[in-house]
Amino acid sequence: MTTAQTSRGRIAVDAAAVLARWLLGAVFLYMGLSKALDPVDFLKLLRQYDLTQSFLLLNSMAAALPWFEVFCGLLLLAGVAVRGTALTLIAMLVPFTGLVLHRALLLQSALAIPFCAVKFDCGCGAGTEFICRKLLENVLLILLSGWLLFGHGRRFSLRFSLIKPAAQ
Amino acid sequence: MKDDPTQFRASSRPVAAGRIFLEAALVAVFGAAFAFAANQISPRGLVLARDYFPAGPAAPVRPVADGGLPAGTGANSVALSPAQFLAAQIKGKGLQLLDDSHAARLFHDPRFKQDIVVFIDARDEEHYLLGHIPGACEFDPYRPEKYFNTVLPLCQKAEQIVVYCNGGDCDDSESAAILLRDVGIPNQKLFVYGGGVTGWTTNGLPVETGKRNSGNFLKPNP
Repeated sequence: MTTAQTSRGRIAVDAAAVLARWLLGAVFLYMGLSKALDPVDFLKLLRQYDLTQSFLLLNSMAAALPWFEVFCGLLLLAGVAVRGTALTLIAMLVPFTGLVLHRALLLQSALAIPFCAVKFDCGCGAGTEFICRKLLENVLLILLSGWLLFGHGRRFSLRFSLIKPAAQ
Repeated sequence: MKDDPTQFRASSRPVAAGRIFLEAALVAVFGAAFAFAANQISPRGLVLARDYFPAGPAAPVRPVADGGLPAGTGANSVALSPAQFLAAQIKGKGLQLLDDSHAARLFHDPRFKQDIVVFIDARDEEHYLLGHIPGACEFDPYRPEKYFNTVLPLCQKAEQIVVYCNGGDCDDSESAAILLRDVGIPNQKLFVYGGGVTGWTTNGLPVETGKRNSGNFLKPNP
């Protein structure tokens, strides 16, 4: 493979990564805003997970999570602290996906229907969805975040890394 | 040193994991600060210290599955359907539960015209405007401060107050009734109409759209 071909390949990968970063940013911006504009609705949905008995904690989660997603979405779109943001998103997505899966299994058991026929509003910001589609979406988001975590998608970023390595 | 966008460095050298974790921590801290500030500024923001669900825990399962939720089906099912769970919870909280026929009877009671019987719609403004029991007052229990001025004098004057929401597993009516009780409305006046708007429309009763006493009615289902 020639140097030119290798270079073109790298550029293509990086361009795809930039698109992935923008896509991820747009998704989180949209999901966050849709919840932030109706926080009471999100609070009601969050309550269904029985995460805590403390209303202060529940309110705090319902108040902060949507705007936190907006914040992360903006960082990704602008290309600021991309790897840190990607890691934060993974840290949010993995446990939330677990919670959604757990709830879906409860519903499947209660309704005695096939797993993929379970449909509910998980409070993720996209309304009522079939569980298999939701899980697939979340896995995709986790994979994209993971890809960015490895340093892809630097082009068109304002400040890809907040913390620079110490000068040699 | 600026990032060179033309230089490809992805995974071509070991990533300083410590820096990424530190960056993630910074994102988390600044993100949390941004989130709480935005909630504070937003006109729709939540009041963190308010108990939005004085009625207690949610119904056990709340699917939006096609065809609704069958009660107690499945191998590992819950003993009660959400509607049954809520009915038990309403009674457990010392509130009086009203069925469809009682709600209709109170609606046709001449005292309703005199505001001696009052209907309270515990859904949000959007749903209220789309259709409510004619003459019912809007009272979103998640934004009570917006409605206290109009609802409290009516409730104080009334002898019977019927609070409702969507029906089924909706527990907003229960929250609204408890909220009203907490601000001094006597418990014996308060009735929770479990069937809610769903039960009301199923029985072909009239539905008013827009503001209270707007005079605009939805055509009943054939």
